[in-house]
Amino acid sequence: MTMNDAFDERLRAAFAAAQPGEDEADAFVKKVKARMSHPVRRRAIILGGAGSTGSAIAGTQLEGLFNTFQIPAEGWTAQLAAIASPEVMATTVLALMIGGFAFILPKRI
Amino acid sequence: MKASDEELVALVVATRDNDAFGELVRRHQGLIRGMMARMSRNRALAEDLAQDAFIRAFEKIGSFTGAGSFKSWLCRIAYNEFLMAARKRKATERAMEKFKGDVDDTEAPRDMGSVVDLDRALATLKEDERTVIVLCFSCGMSHSEAAETTGMPLGTVKSHVNRGREKLKAFFETAEAVA
Repeated sequence: MTMNDAFDERLRAAFAAAQPGEDEADAFVKKVKARMSHPVRRRAIILGGAGSTGSAIAGTQLEGLFNTFQIPAEGWTAQLAAIASPEVMATTVLALMIGGFAFILPKRI
Repeated sequence: MKASDEELVALVVATRDNDAFGELVRRHQGLIRGMMARMSRNRALAEDLAQDAFIRAFEKIGSFTGAGSFKSWLCRIAYNEFLMAARKRKATERAMEKFKGDVDDTEAPRDMGSVVDLDRALATLKEDERTVIVLCFSCGMSHSEAAETTGMPLGTVKSHVNRGREKLKAFFETAEAVA
C-alpha cells in the first residue's frame, strides 16, 4: 500500500465516520415519506391556478374561432352541426379543460 | 433475505410502494445527508437538501436504468439538487456564510475522525475541489463518474482530486504535528 493509498483509506473512513448516525434514520425516513404522500401543495395550486385561468381565457376565444368555420355538411353531420353551435362547442371544450384540471389537481395535492 | 437496492427500485417503479422506497431512504440517508452536509457546510440546509434529493429520486425513479449502482445514481441526483439550490437562491450562499461560523476555528484541530476537523479541512479547498473530493471519497464515485456528474472534463476532475487530496493531507499533517 502506498502512502497515497493509506491516506485515501483514512479519508474514506473519515467521510464514513462523519455521516449522521443510524439513530436519526427513523425520523428522517418519516419526514421523507410524509413529503412523498403530500407533494408540494403550493406548486400544484399555482400551476393549477395558472392553467385554469389560461383555460378560461382560451375558452372565451373559442366561440369566435368556431364561428369562422363553414363546413359543408349534409345528412347526420348537418344535424350534428345544427346542435353543435359555436357556443355549445366552446362550452364543451372549456368543460373538458376544466374537467381535466379537476381530475389531475386532487392527485397532485 | 434482504432485498437488493435494484429489487427495491423495481418494486417502487412497479407499484409506487412507499415502504420499499422508505427502505432505500433508510439505507442511503447517512450517505446523502453526510454528502450534503460536507458540500453545503450547513447542517440545517443539508437536511432540507437531502430530503429534496430523495423526493426527486422518488419522482424520477423510473429513469434509473440499472446501468450503474443505485448509490451513484442517487448521489448524482443529490448533487444536482445541491447545484440547483445554490444557483436558485443566492440567499442560501449568504446563509451558508453565516453558518460557517458554526465551526469553531479557535479550537485546535485534532484528528481526521472528528467531523469538525473534516469540515474545517474541507473548508480549505476550492468549491470544485471540495465537490469532487466529496463525490469520490464520500459517495465512492470513480473519477469518470464524478466527471459525468459534474460535467467537468476527466482531466480536470483528476487534477482537482489530486490537488484537494494534497491540501487535505497537508492540513491533517499540520494538525497532527500541533496535537
